[in-house]
Amino acid sequence: MIPFNFEYYKPKTIEEAVDLFNSLKSAGKKPVYYGGGTEIISMARVHNVHMDAVIDIKGIPECNVHEVKDGELIIGSGVTLTEIAELNFFPLLSLTIKRIADHTVQGKITLGGNLMGPIIYKEASLPLMASNSKVIIAGRNGKRKVLVRDIYDKEKGLNPCEMIVQIVVEDKFLNLPYAHVKRTKNEKIDYPLITIVGLKDEKKISFAFSGICEYPFRSPKMEDVLNNNSISVNKRIKKAITNIPGKILNDLNGSSEYRKFMLHTMLKEALLDFQEVE
Amino acid sequence: MSQIGVDTLRKEAWDKVTGAAKYNSDRLESNMLNARILTSPYAHALIKSIDTSKALKSDGVLAVITGDYLPVLTGSIIEDRPPIARDKVRYFGEPVAMVVAHSEQEVMKATKLIEVDYEPLPVVNSINQSISSQAPLIHENIGKYFCPDTTVQPRAGSNLLDHVRIRKGDMDRGWNESDIIIDLKTFLPQSDHLAMETRNAVAEILPDGRVVISTSSQAPFAVKEEISKIFGIAEGDIIVNVPYVGGAFGGKATVDLEFLAYIASRAVGGRKVRIANSREEDISSSPSKVGTESTVKMGATNEGIIKALEATYFVDCGAYAGTGPRMAKAIASDCTGPYNIENVHCDSYSVYTNHSYVTSYRGFGHVAFTFAMERAMDKLANSLNMDPLDIRMKNAISEGDTLATQAKITLSNTGDLKACILKLKESINWEEGNRIVEPNGMIRAKGIGCFWKTSNSPINAASGVAITLNSDGSINLNFGATEIGPGMKTTIAQILAEKMKMDIDNIHVFMEVDTQLSPKHWKTVASMTTFMVGNAVIKAAEDLMEQLKSLAAIVLACTPEELDVKGQRVYLKDDPDRGIQFKKLVQGYEYPGGSAIWGPIIGRGTYIMKHLVPLDLKTGKGKTGVSWTLGAQGVEIEYDPIRYTYRLLKAATAIDVGKVINPKTARGLIMGGMSMGLGLGTREEFIYSDNGMLENTSLRTYKLIHFGENPEYIVDFIETPQIDGPFGARGLAEYGILAIPGALANAISLAVGMDFDKLPISPELIWKTKTGGKYDSL
Repeated sequence: MIPFNFEYYKPKTIEEAVDLFNSLKSAGKKPVYYGGGTEIISMARVHNVHMDAVIDIKGIPECNVHEVKDGELIIGSGVTLTEIAELNFFPLLSLTIKRIADHTVQGKITLGGNLMGPIIYKEASLPLMASNSKVIIAGRNGKRKVLVRDIYDKEKGLNPCEMIVQIVVEDKFLNLPYAHVKRTKNEKIDYPLITIVGLKDEKKISFAFSGICEYPFRSPKMEDVLNNNSISVNKRIKKAITNIPGKILNDLNGSSEYRKFMLHTMLKEALLDFQEVE
Repeated sequence: MSQIGVDTLRKEAWDKVTGAAKYNSDRLESNMLNARILTSPYAHALIKSIDTSKALKSDGVLAVITGDYLPVLTGSIIEDRPPIARDKVRYFGEPVAMVVAHSEQEVMKATKLIEVDYEPLPVVNSINQSISSQAPLIHENIGKYFCPDTTVQPRAGSNLLDHVRIRKGDMDRGWNESDIIIDLKTFLPQSDHLAMETRNAVAEILPDGRVVISTSSQAPFAVKEEISKIFGIAEGDIIVNVPYVGGAFGGKATVDLEFLAYIASRAVGGRKVRIANSREEDISSSPSKVGTESTVKMGATNEGIIKALEATYFVDCGAYAGTGPRMAKAIASDCTGPYNIENVHCDSYSVYTNHSYVTSYRGFGHVAFTFAMERAMDKLANSLNMDPLDIRMKNAISEGDTLATQAKITLSNTGDLKACILKLKESINWEEGNRIVEPNGMIRAKGIGCFWKTSNSPINAASGVAITLNSDGSINLNFGATEIGPGMKTTIAQILAEKMKMDIDNIHVFMEVDTQLSPKHWKTVASMTTFMVGNAVIKAAEDLMEQLKSLAAIVLACTPEELDVKGQRVYLKDDPDRGIQFKKLVQGYEYPGGSAIWGPIIGRGTYIMKHLVPLDLKTGKGKTGVSWTLGAQGVEIEYDPIRYTYRLLKAATAIDVGKVINPKTARGLIMGGMSMGLGLGTREEFIYSDNGMLENTSLRTYKLIHFGENPEYIVDFIETPQIDGPFGARGLAEYGILAIPGALANAISLAVGMDFDKLPISPELIWKTKTGGKYDSL
């Protein structure tokens, strides 16, 4: 049960959604954009989130697009993880999201919700970052298009009124060789201790990581090191680990030292995967 | 055909698989009010003030209650716990106030509006801190509390609730006869029961003062008795009703929310009030499983015969005694495990900490000493270079041995441990070896352990059965054990059907327990339902048959001794064709030409524990149960030496249950126990922050084994009858859990080549133990 009252809106256009958000905010209320609602419901129940209004974006046609068109895969922010896995346009993305939560919940979680929700792992972002995908954001001043990895950047990221409309992946990335490695503390289905994905574009492998820092990331420095074939795999990995771009998580899931160890074994696995493909 | 040992569909199976079965929380009524607690965010703090004014003004609120309203102290062993904290809080999650409102939504909203001003106190966050001479006192009045259990001895000016001593044999002689001495320290954290149905209760006070409580309890009669005692209400004015219970595992044996429901109803003029835990409250506010620490020293000859055992256990009871001291006693009295040890010295201490308070949990403390003993057995085997299985065979308890409490062992009151070990040897393919390096580098390892357990009930624990009959000759069976999941209502019906030589389909079981209607059953705990109620139902059947025969003897013009009963019919032994059907007898017999005799027949039977003796305070001499079901278990894992992770491959149990009544449910119970044991071994634990806050209060962070993560389960039954058990049956419900954590730790220790004496054993712990816990970046 959600123990407080809130308003529910289901706008039919992006403009209406953004206007609603702004007008609710000007009226001193706290609105949130609403996709699948899994986190809103489970967190509001125990007073961990509070909102005065939800704006359900699933009635907006653009947010429900899911197609390959003109050399691009477009996925609306309201598309569920299950739908993405079933149509399977982007196998690495399908594989990654099939390891988010359980099958029942995957049918509720939307792509936009996973990318922007309060849970820090946002694993759906990993294949999108590795493929330099872009995100279409709508706000008061219309739409803008940024790299997925920039939505977690304080300056380039979303301002509070903005919503994600769609993700755009260039089709040349869809069927590249890939690796996906996920480790949890102990469970088959759980938040990641660490998840990494790799995508190999001609000679270079791009990597994206979740569960290492408080946000998912790609690191050019780590990628350069990891792609440097002149040194041994072990040395590459160790050097990459010293170049992690932020504070390493240290929590109930695992200590930061353990995460480093685990990342080492996982990177080794991923690199070997790519070698075997060759 | 016998109905014992035959897979029998549960009486409630169709209700449960269709969702028609109603649990207490399903019974919502339009006139019910809702109550909810506000819990403490501190582990130890003074309550300076509570401002309820805003909450009282909130929509729909009828009452906001603090500890000053109806201040009472509760506890079945030591009366030390206020249902709502007063003046100070002693654990994170303790109720500090309660709101009663019309709707659940209103009550949740208002609870947030209560303002409490706390003054944090130093926190006692571990057993070590609790027993330190500088430890802050958690209960200033320890030593002055009333103790319903007169054997406990709380020590004034300390955090020590009780100290149980076992002194058997001559320790000096034991050590002298030992060629080798091993020792170890173990730690098992507190954890949660995690029954699927969270605890809930409804209370109403009728205009004439009768109190009606419906609850998800394992102990409806204890609810009645404790509410009566604490609030001074005549027992007959209290009616407790329990429908199906959605799992309990010991967690619903303590009277907990029932106090709150009653207080809430009182505060609103007796109106019907419901209180139901959220999962988070069920984990952090209601009582949990004990935490334990131990030091064990064991001596043996070079041949592997154990000569001496010295053990010290500390039981972390948390903030209130709960059932903790009785589990500490259970640990001490059975501390040897199912092994013959002549010289035993054991101290078992119960201590207060600022952790969650505790109640019984599957195994009733026996997991703690079984873990320590089974790790010790493997260490001994290792030091002597002996086979872990052989060393257990050599020391297996048998007829003529004595317990640590000096009570006598018979084959009937224990069973055949050696047969269990041999069965296990087969089922886990011990012959192929217990540590096998696979071609892919993985290490397959097997660990084993033996277990036993008794009931540790009060000396007068008792059970009754009442039987009435329908005019078609079918039977209504009524007894006071609550159906918490193991299918015991069906098991008892099977025993009755077997005794009456009739079809179980013609036995109708009263599924609920109502303290006004059902004969008392002590509590649905201690794996004792089949044994106690089973014995009572046999007596009830005998009573019923005696009456039927007496009446039939009149009708058939013979003596009752000449008659027998089968297929709902009473007949002459020497001429079975001549007889009379139940349906003509059970409501009284009517002569063909008119006039009738007798009237409705009612059968009754009872059982009370026999020959139990409280432990002597100095030596621990005494008897804590009527029998000790025992067995052997094994766990097989596959260990990855590169990643320090492991997979569970197999878990096996061979248990001597005396006689299996319903094989499928018995198997399910043992498997469920093994699953919980693997949960304790691999992941379940309460994690407290430095200031005593429970950090994993939800299922996002508190992990247990999920379906699909389970290994293959193997269950074998050995049947050495218990002479005084119903058809030879011994208790079995809890037992699957007991040696699994020890067997798992033995398997992991063997695979890794390091000692694991703490639970749970996570991959990170293995990595830390093996590498020192530092990632080498060079």
